[in-house]
Formats: sequence, C-alpha cells, structure tokens
Amino acid sequence: MVSPLFILAIGLGAAFGVGLLDARSRGLAFAITLAGLAAMSAIGAEWLWAFVVDGVQPIMVMTAGAPPPFAINLRMGPAEAALVAIICLTGLLSAIQMREALLRLGRRAMAVLSIAVMALSGIVLTRDVFNLFVFFELVVIATGGLVLLSDDPRATAAGFKYLVVSQVASMLMLIGIVFVYHAGGSLNVDDLIGSPAVAAGGAAGLAFLLLMIALVLETKPFPANGWALDVYEAAHPGFGAIFSAASASAALYAVDKVVGVGGAAFLPMLTAIGLVTFVGANLLALSQTVDRRLLGYSSVAQVGLVLAVIGLRDLLGERYLMVAGGLLVAHAVAKAGLFWLSELVAGRDFAAWAALRRRPILIFAFATFVAMLAGLPPFPGFYAKWELTHALMAQGRPELVAAILVGALFEAGYLFRWFGRALKATPPEGVSDLPVSKVGVVVLTALGGWVLGEVWGAASPYGDVLGATPLLVALAFLALEPLSARIKNTLAIVVLVAAFASGWPHFDPLQLIFAAIVLLGGAVIFVASYAFADGRRTGFYPSAMLMYAGLAMLIVAKDTFGFFAAWEVLTIGSYFLILRGKQSEPHALSYVVFSLGGAFAILAGFALAAETTALFPIAGLKQVAAPFAPWVFVLLAVGFMTKTASIGLHIWLPGAHAEAETDVSPMVSGILLKAGLFGLFMLLMQMGRQSLYGVDLTLVLLWIGAASALLGNLMAVFQEDAKRLLAYSSIGQMGYAVFGLALMNHLGWLMALMFVINHYIYKSSLFLSVGGVYKRTGTREMYRMGGLITLMPLTFFAVLVGIVAMSGVPPLSGFGGRWIFYNAILDTPARLPMVVIFLSGPIAFLYLFRLIHTIFLGQLKDEHRRIREAPIWLIAPQMLYVAFLIGFALFPGLALRKVDAFISRFIPEHALNWDGLTITSAYGYWNPVSIMIVIVVIFVTLLAWLVFLNRRAQMVKQFNIVFAAERPYRPETTHFAWNFFAPYRRALGPLTEPYFERFWQAQTDALHGWAGFARRFYTGDGQVYAFQVVGFVVIVCWAAMGMTP
Amino acid sequence: MTFEWIKIPQSLLTLFIVLNYGLLLTALVQKIAARAGRRHGIPIWQNYVDLLKNYGLRTNITHGVMYYLGPVFRLSGGVGLLLFVPTIYGSEMFSNLSFAGDLILALYFIFFGTLGMALGAGESGHPHAAIGVSRGLSQVTAAELPLALAVFSVALQYHTLSVTDIVAAQQGGVAHWTLVTNPLAVVAGMFSFLGSMMRSPFDVVLAPQEIPIGPPTEYHSSYLALMQTNRAIFPVAKMVIYMNLFFGGASSWAEFCLKIFLIYMVSALVGVVFPRFRVEQSIRWFLTWAVPVGVAAILLV
Amino acid sequence: MITLSLAVGFALVLAGLYGALTNRNILRMIVSFTVADTGVNIVLVAVGWMRGRTAPILDDAVPIAEAAQRIIDPLPQALVLTAIVIGLGVTALMLAYAYRLYSTAGTLDVSKFTELKW
Repeated sequence: MVSPLFILAIGLGAAFGVGLLDARSRGLAFAITLAGLAAMSAIGAEWLWAFVVDGVQPIMVMTAGAPPPFAINLRMGPAEAALVAIICLTGLLSAIQMREALLRLGRRAMAVLSIAVMALSGIVLTRDVFNLFVFFELVVIATGGLVLLSDDPRATAAGFKYLVVSQVASMLMLIGIVFVYHAGGSLNVDDLIGSPAVAAGGAAGLAFLLLMIALVLETKPFPANGWALDVYEAAHPGFGAIFSAASASAALYAVDKVVGVGGAAFLPMLTAIGLVTFVGANLLALSQTVDRRLLGYSSVAQVGLVLAVIGLRDLLGERYLMVAGGLLVAHAVAKAGLFWLSELVAGRDFAAWAALRRRPILIFAFATFVAMLAGLPPFPGFYAKWELTHALMAQGRPELVAAILVGALFEAGYLFRWFGRALKATPPEGVSDLPVSKVGVVVLTALGGWVLGEVWGAASPYGDVLGATPLLVALAFLALEPLSARIKNTLAIVVLVAAFASGWPHFDPLQLIFAAIVLLGGAVIFVASYAFADGRRTGFYPSAMLMYAGLAMLIVAKDTFGFFAAWEVLTIGSYFLILRGKQSEPHALSYVVFSLGGAFAILAGFALAAETTALFPIAGLKQVAAPFAPWVFVLLAVGFMTKTASIGLHIWLPGAHAEAETDVSPMVSGILLKAGLFGLFMLLMQMGRQSLYGVDLTLVLLWIGAASALLGNLMAVFQEDAKRLLAYSSIGQMGYAVFGLALMNHLGWLMALMFVINHYIYKSSLFLSVGGVYKRTGTREMYRMGGLITLMPLTFFAVLVGIVAMSGVPPLSGFGGRWIFYNAILDTPARLPMVVIFLSGPIAFLYLFRLIHTIFLGQLKDEHRRIREAPIWLIAPQMLYVAFLIGFALFPGLALRKVDAFISRFIPEHALNWDGLTITSAYGYWNPVSIMIVIVVIFVTLLAWLVFLNRRAQMVKQFNIVFAAERPYRPETTHFAWNFFAPYRRALGPLTEPYFERFWQAQTDALHGWAGFARRFYTGDGQVYAFQVVGFVVIVCWAAMGMTP
Repeated sequence: MTFEWIKIPQSLLTLFIVLNYGLLLTALVQKIAARAGRRHGIPIWQNYVDLLKNYGLRTNITHGVMYYLGPVFRLSGGVGLLLFVPTIYGSEMFSNLSFAGDLILALYFIFFGTLGMALGAGESGHPHAAIGVSRGLSQVTAAELPLALAVFSVALQYHTLSVTDIVAAQQGGVAHWTLVTNPLAVVAGMFSFLGSMMRSPFDVVLAPQEIPIGPPTEYHSSYLALMQTNRAIFPVAKMVIYMNLFFGGASSWAEFCLKIFLIYMVSALVGVVFPRFRVEQSIRWFLTWAVPVGVAAILLV
Repeated sequence: MITLSLAVGFALVLAGLYGALTNRNILRMIVSFTVADTGVNIVLVAVGWMRGRTAPILDDAVPIAEAAQRIIDPLPQALVLTAIVIGLGVTALMLAYAYRLYSTAGTLDVSKFTELKW
C-alpha cells in the first residue's frame, strides 16, 4: 500500500516540479501535472479497492514522528479513499478538459491546479482542525488562481467576491478553532470528540458553533452563496467541475468530520440549513436561463441535501454511509460530467445544448447525468432517496420527507426543462469540432455513473435494479443503436413476445392480462413502427424498451422497492419516448414533472407503510395499521392517478399523447396508462376500503373517476385536433376504469379490466388510424380533412369499428364493458357519483362521431385528392385490432372468465355466471353470440333488400347535392366541420373552461415569479454577499443559541 | 342452448303488426296535431302511399358506401330494438328475441341506427346533413340522460335489468305500475321521451325551414323508403320500452295499441302547444328540469 | 491582560469587518480585512497566554524538565505564525485581483462589478 501521505507529497511535488521547469516547456509541464494527478488518483483508488474488496482496516498516518496531539495525523478509511479518489479523478479529468487554458497560462496555473487538488485531498485526510484550516486556505488561494483560467472577463470579479467571502469565513474558522482548542486542549478531532468541554456548551460551545458555521459556509449554504454562484457561472467549466464535485465533497466531509466534536446538539442545525438550502436553491434555480449558473444552483442544492443528511446521521444509523455517499457520489459524477459537457457547448442558454445532438453518445451522457441528479434508477441517488425517505418515515419525520421531495421535484423540473430544450431546440448554425479527448472524458464519466449505479445496487439490501433482466435487455438496445431500425424493430418484437412466453406460466390471471397488453400489445404496436423504420431511428428503441422493461418489472414486482424502481424506469422510458415528438417539448416536461411528483407520492406512501421493515413485500400493505393506513392509501392513490391522468392531474396527457410520434401515441396511451390502473388494482386489492376523517376514500376515488369520465369526455368534444380528441377521450376512459375499481365490488373490478383490454385495443387502433391520416395529409386538424373514405377505406373501416366498440353500441366489445358497468353500479350505495358517470356516457358519441365524420365523410379537399391509403405497416395492426375487437365481442369469456374467478378470491359476491354462451349476473343477462347473429342477420337481410331495390345506383360527383338554390363549389365552405358542436358549447358554457390548466399554470407561474423575484437577492455586489454571509452567521448563531439551552 | 327456429316467424309477425300499427299511428297522430292547428291533415293511409311511392321510384344515385349503408343501419336499429324487447307480456310467442340480452342491450342498441344513419348522411357531403347531425347528437346526449337515470331508478327499484321481470313486477293493477310506485322516474323518463320523438319543442334537428329536413336531406327513393319504414317501427319500439318500464307493459295486442297510442299522445299534446327550442335551449332545459328529476328518482328510490 | 487583549482583538475584528462591509473601494476593503486579520491574530495569541509564564523557547532560561510548568502554550503562537503567512498570501492574491480589476474595468468601486448576479 502506498502511504496516503504520497497523495499530498505528489501534489506538492508536481506543483513545485512544474515551477522549476522552463517557462516555455508547457507541454512537459502539462504532462507532469497529469501524471501527478493520475498518480494521486491511483493511490486513492488503490486504497478504495483495498478497503472495499480486501477488507483492510482504516489506518492512521502519523507525521513528524509523533502521535497526536503533538503532530498532525491523517486518516485513511473507506470514505476518505472514496472521496480522495473522486477529488483526484475530477482534478485529472478537469485538467484534460482545461488543456488549452492551462497551456495558455503556463506552468503556474498547472501548479495551482495541483495544489488545489492536493489541498482538497488534505481536507479529507487530515484529522487536525488547524490543518483543516490551512488546507481550506490553500484551497481559497488555489481557487482564486484557477478562477482566472476562464476566458470570461467577468471571472475576475467573481473570484474577488469569492475571496472577500472566504476572508470572513476564515476569520470565523480561526477564532472558532482557537477557542475550541482552548476548551478542549487539543487540535485533533479524535481527541476533541471525547472532550466534555465543547459538548457542554457555553463559550466553548459558541466557539465550536463558529467553527461549524465556517465549515458550513464552505458548503455554500442558501442564501449565503451568491459568491459561489458567480464563480460557477464565470469560471472555466473544468474548474467548475472541481469546484462543484471536489470542493463540495471535501467541505462536506470536513463538516462530517468535525460535527462529531459538538455532539448531537449540532445535528438539527445542519439538517435545517441543509434543507433550506436544498429547497431554496432549487426553487430559485427554476428561473435560471444560463446553463452554468443553473448548475451552480443545482450544486448548491445537492450539497445542501447531503448536509441535511449529515445532520440526520444519528437517525440514519448504519444506512448513513449509503445515503450520504449515494447522494454525494451521484452529485459529484453528474455535476462534473455536466460542467465538462458545458465546455462542448458554445452558447450559454439551454437551446445551445442542442449542439450535443450531433453526437448521440453525448445525449446519452447528458441523460445519464440528469437522471443521476434527479435520483432516478439505477443510479446511486435512487437508492439513497429510497433509504432516506424510509428512514425518515420510520423515525416519524414526514415533514422532512415532504421538504426533500418538494425540493427534488423543483430540481427535476428545471433539469428536465433543460434536457427537453437541448433535445428539441434547433441546433446552432456552424459546426464546431468536438475534440475526442473531451468527448471521451464525458462519456467515461457517464459510464462511471453506471458503474457506480451497479456498485450501489449490489450493496443495496433491496435489490439491484441494474441486475433486472428486462432493464438489461433494454440497455442492450443502446448497444444495438448502430444497427438499422428494421433489425432493431424485429428484435424488439421478438424480445417482447419471448418475454411474454417465458413469463406466462408464472403469471396470475391479473398479471396475465396486463402482461398480455404490455408485451404482446407492445409487440403489435411495434409492427406499426416498421412504417417509420427508415435509417436508424436513433434513440427510439432504447427508450421504448426502457418503458416496456419498466412495465414488465412492474407487473411482477413482489416488494415495494421493485415496484417503485419499475415505476421510475417506465416513467423515464416513456418520457424519452414522448419527448421524441416534434412539438412535444412542453408536454413531455409536464408529463415528467407530474409523473415524478406522483412517483414521490408513491415513494412517501411506501415509506410510510414500511415503517421499520426495510424490505417490504407488496402483500404487506394489507397489514398496515390504522393511523397510517389511510395516508398510505392517499399517497399511493395520488401517485397512481398521475399515470391514469385522473381529473386534476390530467393536464399533461392531451399534449403528451397528441404530440407524440404516430407509433408512440398508442404506446403511451394504450399501454402506459395501464400502469396507473395496475397500481390502483394492486392498492385496492391489498388495502381495500380506507377512511380518513370519516370519509370513505374509495368514495373519493369514485367521485374522481366519475369527474374524470365526465370532463374528459366533455373536453374531447371540443377538440379540433384529432389526436388531442383521442387523448382527452383517454382521460374519460381511464375515469371509467378508476370508477369501476373504486366501486369495490366484483363487477366493478371486472369492468375495469374490461376497460383495460378494450381501451388498449381501440385507442391503439384509433391512434394508428389517425396517425396514418396525419402521415398522408400532414395535418391533425380535422376540419382540414374530409371525404377521405374513398381514398383510405381500410383506415376508415378500422376507425368505424373502433368507434362503434368504444361507444359501447352492440354488437362490438364495448357493449360488454357497458353491460358489466351497469350491473356493477347496481350493487353500489353511492348513487351521486353514479349520476355523474351517467352524464358522461352519451357525450362519447359526440366526439366519436365528429372524429369519423370530419375526417372521412363530408367534402374531400382539393389538396387531398391524390393521397393514398396509409402504409401497410400501419394498416396491418389496425386490422388485427379489428379482428380482435370482433373476436372479443363474441367471446369475452376467453379473457374474462379466469379473471372473474381470480377476483372471486378477493370479492366472491356477485360473480358472473358463464354457463353456455349467455353471461348472467344477479340482475340481467347477455348473450354476445346471439346479439351478433341477430344484428348481422337483420342487417344483411335489409342490405340485400336495398341492393335488390337499388341495384342500379349510380355514383355521383362530390358536389352533386341538393343545395338550396345554390351550387357549392368549394369543399372548404361546404364541409361542416370546424367547431362542430357549437350549440353544445353554448349550452354548457362554464363547464368547458379549462380550470385545471389554469390552476396548474397559476401554480407554475407563481413559483417562477417567486423564484425570479427572490433571486434578485443575489445582487452581484461582493460586499452585499459578504454582508449576507455575516447575516447568515448571526441568524444561525441566534437560532442555535435558542435551540441549545 | 338450442335455438328455436319458430322464433323467426314469430318475430316477423311482431314486426308486421308493429309496422302496420306504426304507419297508421303516425298518420293518426299527425292528423290529430293538424286538427289542433285548425288544418285538415293527411289521410290516414298517407304513409302507405308514401312508402309505396318511394319503394317504386327509380331515381337511384349514391354518394358512396357509407351513404348506401346508412338507411340499412337505421332500419336495422329499429327492427333490432323492437325484437330485443318482449312486446306482449306473458306471451312466449311475442317475447321475440329478448333472450339475447336485457334492458341494457336495448338502451345501447338505440344508438346503432342513429350512428349509422348519421354516418351515411355524413358521406353525402351535404352541410345540412352535418348540421342536422350536430344538432341531433347534441340534443340527444342531453335528452338521453333523464331516461338513463329513470331506467336505472327502475332497475334499482325492481333489482333487475330484465324487461320481462320488470313488467312482471308491475302486474296486478294500476297501483303496481311504476307510474304510481316511482313517479319521479316516470316523469324523468317522459321528459326524455319528449326529446326523442322529433316533435316540437325538440324538433330543431329536422328543422324543415332552415336546413330542409336535416340529416336525411340527400336521401331519396328506396333509401328514403327504408327510413320511412323505420319511422313507423322505431317510435313504437321505443314506446314499447316505456310501456314496459313505466306503464305495466301489455298483456294483449289491444292493451298494447291503447297504451302506445296514449304514450304517443303525450308528445303530440306537448308538441302542438309549445314552439320550438333552439338546440342550446333544449340542452339547458333537459339539464335544468329533466335531469334533476332523474337524479331525485335515483336518490329516492 | 487577557481580557484587554481579547477585547482589543475582537474590537479590531469588528472594526475590520465593518470597514470591509461599508467601504466601496476595493483597496480599503483589503486594508480592512488585514485589520480584521490582525485582530484575529491578537485573539489567538491572547488565548494561548498564561499568567506568570515565559515565552516557549527552550534555552538556558527554561530547562526542558520544567518547561511544561514554566512556558505558556506554544501552539497558538505557532498557529498565529501560520495564520499570518496565509493572511499574507490571501492579501497578496486580493491585491493582485484588485490590480487586475482596475486594469480591466478602470475602477476600484466594488459595487460596479455586478455583471454576474441573480
């Protein structure tokens, strides 16, 4: 083992060695610097390996030949090794990124870089408080030097502000140190930890408080951090990475090291400061438009979160390292990677990041970093988030969970807004070359993030997300990206079918239905993707497979961790899918924000349910005790309803589904929405009825379902955009399903399942039909079309069958759903929500008729006279759906009988009777085959008669109509289509106003307005910053004195 | 289950009786309405004349497949609706094809013909047809609500969705009729009935003055004949449901004829007294007057 | 004596801070910080002082055997030495910054350097 001292020695040696060189041999100096940093990283990594793999015990390194307190000693343990490795690696990779700047400024700059990395390592390693101070001051001086590396002329001012503030901090630290020393008689942290004088409070306590505040100031706490933000914005991104990843890690570790001296009394202070920082910085970040400043805000926030976790370390117990480490590592890797990425981008606004699109691998890296920061699986932050919320809930601290999750949601909001902008903005003109070494560094960092994810997964007691086969298969599609889209599409279909076949024997009937829809249904939709499989279709297959992987994992999840991980995976996958649409940027953003908000609710719910048991089986939800159970129910239900787009949480859906690509719309509508229903199914099966403050929560669900059905249908009526119409109709349909579930009776659940199946089929079919029309006409505005029936007869037929099925008119399968629905509601005592859902029923006819009429009937437009039928690949799945709709209409028992029996296990009353071909309930009966035969016979007979009477009917031209004394000559003025249901809108008036959109818009406006206003606090004046720091110190002192008697 | 083939001629017989009764009844009611307006009105056999004339016409044009199928859908809807509901209570012969499904089937099948005809009218490309459909659908969604509520109230009352069982429960005199036992449901149902009979004040769908006869504008000769056939069958089929649900059903053809006539007279009476509503007015009327009655019927049953 | 030194030290710290926070001129701010630094150093030395003892220099006057009883705590003094060196470094860096700021912007008014904000 190489002594840790060599880390410091090599850093200093490299710095001085470079200084001795000739000023002109810059290349050599750069090589020495890199070699030094590499050697330091190697030592750190070697130790880390020794601790983790070989199980070596931590060691103390004495210096100056004397034990402490007479000499300084260093400690090398797993945490130190990991942090030193991070710091030195960050330094090394940043040096590569800063190559031009370093070569331009010469050996002095390189020496300063070596010193900075050495000093940061020193902060981590030393056990001596004063030595800590010295290293901090070295960092200050080195930072002061490195800030000047930037090309940005504003960096000088930023560096000066930084120096001013660090002067204040260093004075505090020094005064604190000397009084702590006076009271405790030692400068060694380990000696001080036992010292009663400091823990006793009084003057020594105040001194320690000053020391702590000085250290906390180094972590850039909100709001005393304007100086740091300026440095982040103006400094060279290579240095920004060091400042964010390395400096922050070192400062946090210093806090962690020293806080033990003061004892538990100081921990709440850290938590409070940390959480205020996390929420505050993330809130203010919402109104940022400059990438590096945004990264600065985000860094501040993330470090604040780790600071809060340090404050909670007693509470976290043995999970502390996993949590703090996970958050810190995710932050460090992601932030360093993003700063390095920002160097490859010329402009400073988000749109400039579109330049990354020229190298898809960089988008992959970008996505990786964003996911790491947002705490998504399979990265360390995900495990940390899971552990943290569970530990906090177990200790009865829901308010902390709420604060953390709110802050995290803000963060996800701006991160994904940025990501979406980068993917959707027009790339800047002019191609600047992306140097291989810099791209390599970024990609390496991203891969490092994945490795860390695996490390955390392997260490997690709950399960390794990266070890899940579906996810690995989805990731394998990343590796397949260079292949042509046709091959990938075929592979995707094979994979989905194979997954279903292999899982078949193990599914229970409920899982079987959902699995069939997700996997087989997904495979059918992929058939349509052949129509778009030109070239490579980069990004499509990994995203889609990620979503399917998440769904597949969701269906078979046994414990809450697996369920939640799957939920997040499918959310990310579907987000990437939705984002692919041309105009989908804002909609994808609102989708992901709502989804993550819902996911956080689920997380909180699971954590609340789990109490102290860490690995919580889903079946355990049954046993959740009284005071928590209703809250668990509420949290989970809200989470699931963000996916079913229940009213109030629905505003993401119309845009997301409408703007998605043609074959993506059915995926996210027909399949993705079912995830929410599956969750609700799971919830109701396990938890049953719950009541909160005497209100039956299933009744609330019933109302929500009914309102969704009514308003979703109502809004669909007034859409001019065909895909939006279908999207709103999905809200209504999902409302029916939620209503059915909430009925809590046998037939209600059966009806919900019937909707699950039917909605998948007809909505997928209709989206593909409309997509085919869009492909041919180039518009989704229905009034711009018309008369397409003769040109696209197969599409028309598919739509016809689809709408007949959807409206519930016999003899197609929608009727079965309605029939079960009526029987189900006969059992419920809740009659008012039932009335609401009655109101919504007939409204479906309005929009369905409009859909088929304005597109296919009426007057054909001149510009459409030559269009052809939709591509065969789009038609083929539609015909399959048509066949299935008819088949399912005839023999609903094929799918439903087993499920009926399965539901009987939970609710035995009022099961259906499946004797022969007639299906009988307690109230009525229904014979699908007879209905079909009767209707077909009547229809065919009458048709035959008409044909007999009218056999010589002659086709006439388009305008050959009886038009009161005029001859119509333009299809546009003759096609009655725009605002088709104007009288209906007039009659309903206020019911059709978009209240919920306005509500959420007002919320986001308020947040952004607040952030925009509050950030003016950072005036940019160095003196004001110093004043804020002093004010922060005073307030924290005052608060801490108040807290500790 | 084995199908009894005798059902087919029996159903055809029902169809035949109802067709003739419907043709005569509509003419009679039209005549009564005309007399109320101090006009002479049409001869009682006028519908037969029209029907024969239209079946005999040889001007045959078509606007396309859907246009061609529209009347077929329409008439299938009427015939199916009639046959899915037992006509005469206690008579196996006139229980028709009600083994295929219960009340829900009948209620949803009402839309079959409406939808098909709307589609056919749509393909004609005539704006008046589309305007008529827009008005008709808007109005019917509002008008159907009280009926749905009333039907459900009745189903809750008798704990069944089977039409036969509902009629059976009303046997034993007027006092057992739903009209007496659940008057709110009947009122709601009859409000809805007014809206579905294409009579004033809810006849803006056909609106003879502004959009000559609405959806069927482009239909002529045998197409129109099919629709006229339906116009005789469909109202009666619908009224059979009302009769069965609210007025104790009918145990003989005589009782059937009387009750259907009286039910029809309700809409005729209202029609001659009140002027026409605009679409939004009628929607609001149904929402403010008829729906609350239906809600009350459901809550109080 | 200790009290007086401490009082003077803290007074200097506060005065320095006040100066640094109120003076717009960058050079004045730097001077104020050196005043405050001096105050901190005085506090440090004062904390290490003990009544009736001598300087921690092991020579003929203080035999090694009695050193522990006769000298004051040497550590704060060592700290002060280090702190002075570091203070010098930081002050030099700040002056360098001041020079650079003046040469680019032509002013030493700290409130003029607010291009980076919010």
